[in-house]
Parts: sequence; structure tokens; C-alpha cells
Amino acid sequence: MAIKDKYLIRPCTWIFLLLMGLTVVTWFIGVNQFSGLQISLMALGIALLKGQLIGDYFMGLRQVSGFWRWAVAIWLLLIGSLIGYAFYMSAQS
Amino acid sequence: MKYQSQKVAKLYFIAAIGLFVGQILFGLIMGMQYVVGDFLFPEIPFNVARMVHTNLLIVWLLFGFMGASYYLVPEEAETELFAPWLAHLMFWVFLAAGAATILAYLLVPYAALAELTMNDLLPTMGREFLEQPTITKIGIVIVVLAFLFNIGMTILKGRKTVVNLVLLMGLTGLAVFFLFAFYNPTNLVMDKYYWWWVVHLWVEGVWELILGSILAFILIKTTGVDREVIEKWLYIIIAMTLITGIVGMGHHYYWIGAPEFWQWWGSIFSALEPIPFFMMTVYAFNMVNKRRRNHPNKAAVLWALGTAVMAFLGAGVWGFLHTLAPVNYYTHGTQITAAHGHMAFYGAYVMIVLGMISYSMPLMRGRELCNSARSQSLEMWSFWLMTISMVFITLFLTAAGILQVYLQRFSDNPMDFMVVQDKIALFYWLREITGVIFLIGLIVYIASFFIGQDEPEATVEPLK
Amino acid sequence: MEKSKWPPGDLVIWIFIMAELLVFGIFFAAYAFTRANHVELFNTYQATLDRNAALINTLALITSSYFVVRAVAAIKMDDSRKCFQWLLAALFMGLVFLLVKGIEYQHHFSQGISLSTNTFYMFYLSMTFFHFLHVILGMVILIAVALKARAGGYSARQHDGVETGASYWHMVDLVWMVLFPLVYVMN
Repeated sequence: MAIKDKYLIRPCTWIFLLLMGLTVVTWFIGVNQFSGLQISLMALGIALLKGQLIGDYFMGLRQVSGFWRWAVAIWLLLIGSLIGYAFYMSAQS
Repeated sequence: MKYQSQKVAKLYFIAAIGLFVGQILFGLIMGMQYVVGDFLFPEIPFNVARMVHTNLLIVWLLFGFMGASYYLVPEEAETELFAPWLAHLMFWVFLAAGAATILAYLLVPYAALAELTMNDLLPTMGREFLEQPTITKIGIVIVVLAFLFNIGMTILKGRKTVVNLVLLMGLTGLAVFFLFAFYNPTNLVMDKYYWWWVVHLWVEGVWELILGSILAFILIKTTGVDREVIEKWLYIIIAMTLITGIVGMGHHYYWIGAPEFWQWWGSIFSALEPIPFFMMTVYAFNMVNKRRRNHPNKAAVLWALGTAVMAFLGAGVWGFLHTLAPVNYYTHGTQITAAHGHMAFYGAYVMIVLGMISYSMPLMRGRELCNSARSQSLEMWSFWLMTISMVFITLFLTAAGILQVYLQRFSDNPMDFMVVQDKIALFYWLREITGVIFLIGLIVYIASFFIGQDEPEATVEPLK
Repeated sequence: MEKSKWPPGDLVIWIFIMAELLVFGIFFAAYAFTRANHVELFNTYQATLDRNAALINTLALITSSYFVVRAVAAIKMDDSRKCFQWLLAALFMGLVFLLVKGIEYQHHFSQGISLSTNTFYMFYLSMTFFHFLHVILGMVILIAVALKARAGGYSARQHDGVETGASYWHMVDLVWMVLFPLVYVMN
């Protein structure tokens, strides 16, 4: 057990299951053709959260300090705000 | 120099520099014709001067790449060249064909040359950069194939390094894409479509591999940094080059009748073409900072760093300026293109060839490591003269281009092409003057091969 | 746990990953802003996509990524054999992705859809195909790592190569996490 924890298998397994669950949520939104700004932004939020979990746990950035700790987060934030803004804009008009 | 057969590179380099001088002279003639329209008319019309200027550039760079390969490949493969005699023979074939073609451009009207060389049997003439008579093109194919065979066999029988394999990949691409010079569909869109594959897939794709591997070789030799480190950088640089360069080439397809998606593909991927060049800059400076030794050939290191910076500026930044489809809609085919072309060719390809010459020529002329301090100082003067004047040529052409775009295409009352040319003549004069300074730099460069040759080699303090 | 200054694997792969993320980022933003001008068109044609296939593919990539995590953990415990087996499992999930995506493409092409059909399909096909190529490249890297692992080329002390390949593969997964909702779901 101690050895397993050292290589973070247990937390990564939980994250894996969480990612699978979140994916099903997104699929559920899509397959039912739910639409609208709030729904879209929710799907986007889920995607950004999933991305952050992959960066933190799978890529192991949680164990890193400095710039690389936030490299994936910055990317997600950037594209998240651009995509979010574009959808917000199109919903206004 | 470890292997006797590397010395064949010297011939190629001498020819390259000779043709370089010719290229610059015709550049100056043409620059003058921009402002004094009938200068040297009818002996050398503008279209002929332009043809000679661009063709000489490409041919001398090919001489340079071949010389660089003949020097670099045996040393990397740790074996003598497969067939030195073939390299010698092909040198004279190439030089004779090149010289005859240039003379024919100058002495015979182009249409008569086409008739004389029986162009109608296999028509390939008349396209920009590919003006050579069909027979010359066939000659180029033979020379390049013999060259590739020679280099390939050398690599095959010796040590296989990443530098050699990347170089071979680049050279093979060069040969393959040249074959599209023989493909002339009658459909004008298709004709244009494949025309871009020759010179432009070279400079935005496979030539970058050649540039990367020669730069890697110079850095390995002068910095003493571990080969593994340099190879890793080389891998991601070529990966990025191929991803962005091949699709990014679509930025030439915006207005020729190709499908609309090229406006997206071309814009997005070509906007990223600066990335590999930027990586190259970061890596060159990184390697020099991490150096394990101080190499006494300071001139070669200067060229290596110079090419990394200038390639990024010329190819990367100046390319980006007009690569997005909405911008290119206005700038296509203006002096902006000329500005980009000048700095990109100089920064990426001229400087890497001169860098390789700078590193290898002293060794082929019997030096242990480098030239005397005096020769090197002259060479570094020529570096700054040529590089700074090229920066100014680019800036003047960019200014001319911006004005041209505005007056001719953007303003409320657009003017005629020729009227606009008159209005921006001041910048053409400035460009011509800077061109003369470039020529002076080139003369200093050549002088550095003769002055200070009888003095002892330069030395440096060892790294602490 | 002790924090490191550098991310796992070779730093060079991380520079490459950042460059790749930039490419995809530009694609995503271009999609979103172009959509803003053609909302109707995008909504109409988005409805023709197969979301079940996308679900399978997303699950396949996440699972594959997880298997790669296990492969890295295995080599840290000095178990080359386990590492190889996990990588094989990850590659299998990659293959599932390629297969499902291939069937989707097959379906589109049989309807005569191409890059020139309309702007939505232009983006959909370009972005997913560009990603498709990355899955292939990632698999090639994983195959190379797996073969070296099987030959005993890595150990608990020296396994940079495994982490390098793993980081790249996670990036391919990461990009799909955004691509999936953006192209298949958000409207």
C-alpha cells in the first residue's frame, strides 16, 4: 500500500473514474441536444476541469513547481476564455 | 579535417562565393533599374537581370549545400567519401551547366533560347525561378542524383548519426520536389499549384532540415556540447518544421483558385512557421552558453548565432507579417513580399552556408582550428556589414511595401501601379545605397580569405 | 512529496507539447469565433455528428492515458514486464480510437462530405483529422517506448523515455477533452 501510494496509483485511479463520469455527463448533454449558453458553458467548464485533472494527475504537474506547474492550466484558461467569449458573443446577437 | 575526401568541399565553396558575387551585382543592376528604368537597356533588360539574380541565388546555395554535405557527411559518418571522383566530376558538370545557362540568359533572347534548346519537346521554361532550359533542368537532376547517391552511400557505409540522417532527408526532399519543375499541367490553377512545390516547399520545408543539420554540426564542433542534447533539439525542430511548413505552404494558395479551406489551413499553419525558427534561436544561444570549450573560430560561432537570429526575423517574423489571408489579400505580391524574401533567404540559407564555409575553409586550407585573428576580424566586419545592410534593405522595402499597399490597394482613391512606383522611389534609392554597402561587406568577406593568411592562428583562453 | 522544478520526461518534449497546444488552441479559437458568425450553419451540421462514437472515443483515450500512468508507475517499481503490458493495453485503446474515428470518417465520406462542403465540416474534418494524426504519432512513440521497455531498456532509476512518451500521450488526450465538447456538444 505504501509503495503504491508513492507512485500515486490510487489517486490516479480515482481521477480516471471521475474523468469517465464527467465524460458521460458531457455525452448526455450532447445526445439529448440540450442547447443554450449556460449548457454550453457548463460543457466547456467540465472540459477545462478534465483538462486540469489530466495535467495535475496524469501528467504529474502537481509534483512540479514553478512555470511548468501552471503550463497546462494557463493553456486551459486561455482557450477557455476565448471559446467562452465567442459563445457568449454569439448568444448575445 | 579528418578525412582527405572532405576537401572536395573547397571547390564547391569557391564556386558558391563566386556566384554569390554575381548574384549581388545583378541585384544592384536591378535595384538601379527600379529607379532609372532604362539603366543598361537594351543589353540587360529588367526581366533578365531578375532571372539571373534569383537563379544565381538558388544555384550558389545549392553549391553551398553540396559543399557543406561533402564536408560534413564523411566527418559524421567517420569514413571517406564513397566516390570523391564523382564529386569532382559533378562539380564541373554543374558549374559548366550553370555558367552556360546564365550566359545564354544574357546573350540570347529568352524566346530564342527556348527554341534553341527545343523547349517544345518537353516544355518547362518560362516559370519564375524555373526559367532554365529543359536540358539544364535535366542536368540538374543528374547532378543532384549523383550527389545524393554519393552522400547516401557514404552514410550507408559509415556511422549513422542524427545529423547525417536529417541532412539526407532534407537533400532527398530537395531532389524529389525539384521533379515538379517538369510537371506543367495546362490548367492554370494546377500549374500554379504545383509550381509552389519546387522552391517554396524547399525553403519552408526540406531546406530547413538542411539548415538544422548544418547548424547542429557547427554547434557540436564549436561548443563541445553533448551530441545527444543537440540531437534532441534537432528532432523537435524538424518535427515542428514539417508540421507547420508543409501545410503552411497553403498560404500561397489563397488567390490562385484552390479550394477555400486553404485560406484557413494556410493561415493557421503558416502562422506557426516561426515556432521552429524561434526554437532554433533559443537552442543555438543555449548551446553556446552551455559550451564546454571556447572555440578559437569566433567567426564561425558568430555566423551560427547570426543565422539563428536572422532566420527567425526574416523567415519567421517577416513571414508572419503577411501570412494571414485577410492581410495577404492586400499585401500579396507587393514589396512586402520582396522584403521578406530578402531577409529570409539571407538569414536562413546564405548565413548558414557562409557559417559552414567559415568553420571548414580554414581546416581545408591547412589550419589546425581556425584563421588568424586578423582574418577573423575582417570576416566579422563583413558579417556585420552584410547583416546590417540586409536589415536596412528589408526595412526600406517594408516601408515601400506599406506605402504601396496603401496607395495602390487600400486608400479611397487607389492609384496606378506605375504612379505608385514613382511615389515610393525614395525607398528604392535608399535600398540601392544599402545594397552597395552589402557589396562592400561581400568584398571584405572575400578579402578575409587572403589577408592575414601568413599570420599564426588565433587562440582563446580555455573555459574556466 | 518533494516537488521538482521540471515536469516528468525530457524537457524538450514539453517544449514540443507547448507548441502543439498552441496549434490546437489557435484551431479551437478560430472554430469558436467563426461559429459566432454562422451559428445556424454550425448548429445544423453539428447535429449530424455521431455523439455515441465520440463518447466511445473519449472513454478510449482516457482509459489509454490511465494505462500509460500505470506503465510509468510499473517502471518506477522496476517492473519492465508490467510496464510493457500496460503500454500494450494503452496502444490497444489507441487502436480503438483510430478504428471508431475511421468508421465515422467512412460514414461522412460515403455521403460525399469534404473540406469544401461547408465551413462547419471544414473545421470538423481539419481539427479531428489533425488530432487523428497526433494519435498516430503518439502511438508510434508509445510503440518505440514499449519495445525498448520489453528489451529491458528502462529501470526504476532510468526511465526518462517512458515519462517522455507518457507526457506526449497525455497531451493527445488533453486536447481531445476540449475538442469533444467543442465540436460535438456545445451549441
